[in-house]
Amino acid sequence: MAASSRRHLPVSEDTRLATEIRGLVERGEMDEARDRFSGLVEAHQYRASRIAYQYLRDAAEADEAVQDAFVKVFAHITQYREAWPFEVWFTRILINGCLDRRKSRARRERWFVPSEESAPADEQRASATLGAEANPEAQVLARERRAHIAAAVDRLEGRQRTVFMLCHYGDCTPREIAAMTGLNESTVRVHLFRAARKLRGLLGGKP
Amino acid sequence: MTRRAHHLHDDRLFECYLSERVGEPIDPPAAEHLADCDGCGARYRELLRLMDALRREADADTHAVFTPERLRAQHQQIVRRLAHVGRPARIIDFPIQVVSRHMGAAGARGITRWVYAAAAAGLVVGVGLGAVYQSEWASMPTGHRRTAAVRQLGPHVTPVAATSMSAGDGTEDAFLSDLDVALEQPHTRTLQAFDALTPHVRDISGGREKGEGNRD
Repeated sequence: MAASSRRHLPVSEDTRLATEIRGLVERGEMDEARDRFSGLVEAHQYRASRIAYQYLRDAAEADEAVQDAFVKVFAHITQYREAWPFEVWFTRILINGCLDRRKSRARRERWFVPSEESAPADEQRASATLGAEANPEAQVLARERRAHIAAAVDRLEGRQRTVFMLCHYGDCTPREIAAMTGLNESTVRVHLFRAARKLRGLLGGKP
Repeated sequence: MTRRAHHLHDDRLFECYLSERVGEPIDPPAAEHLADCDGCGARYRELLRLMDALRREADADTHAVFTPERLRAQHQQIVRRLAHVGRPARIIDFPIQVVSRHMGAAGARGITRWVYAAAAAGLVVGVGLGAVYQSEWASMPTGHRRTAAVRQLGPHVTPVAATSMSAGDGTEDAFLSDLDVALEQPHTRTLQAFDALTPHVRDISGGREKGEGNRD
């Protein structure tokens, strides 16, 4: 299932492409670099959107976070080193952007009443695209189930949440997550296990 | 009892799940146990169900929100933004340059000359008027000066200060002390509550003097 939803190129191919783009930028061939980078964007866009959306639970904000991450990566492509696969480097930048957005949102919500319009709008859009064959009751149940899961994931402690999301929504291995977060691989495994245990408790064994 | 001690702990089960997920072989003793023990097998299947369901829901959620159209629009937006990366920023002309481009050089020089002339004239008139008022003020007796000042201030001066000035003994010290009293005791009824709460300079200085007296 994880493999089927991975719609991007193999890691080595990405890394090779990113290295080529870096060379093009260093030689000043920006138009060619942009063209090649566009391919990388297409390959990673869906996965990035999924991570950002699960992290921020707001489609518009996730959209912006993904855009910002790609633009940032291209602007700093000369700093890219092959020691890390491109996917790891990119995801790290994306996650940092999402974390900043969550922080600033929390800061905003301390002073302003949070808007209740954005989330229902996303949910309505989501339920509208469930398909014409899905009956309204099924739609409502699906929406409730997702809200329940999202609330449970949101209750995870910061690091647990990041690690869990990268593993389950970002298709990352514990080793890759360790490289992204700077944590030890065994620490990542412990966080994953604790996150799963807590989620099982919160969701009553089944989502 | 012995068999129960060999059951796999939750963390071992989760390790098995992670290995399977990333395509690595499961630890052989754990794999053997899972195959033999019905209880652990059932727990493992339950864990798989939970994790798969979490992932399936997240996938469906993202699919529903990030439709192909939305992803296409996002891609176009990223490409548009990338077009500006690495290019020097565009400098927008300051409007004055646009104005001066439309005006003839002679016209611009003429306007500048008028501005200088108006500024010089304003300066001369100001200095002249200032000198006239200065001489009138100097020739006036002190009492008249105060009355003139009050008349100039008009309604801005509190009635207490104005009365004391007109009926005062003529000394500037008396006038200033009246002014101090007026400022320290606001006669506006709405401010009296605030005044009661605020410490006064006179209280503080009085207290300090008392303290000094005691020390002496």
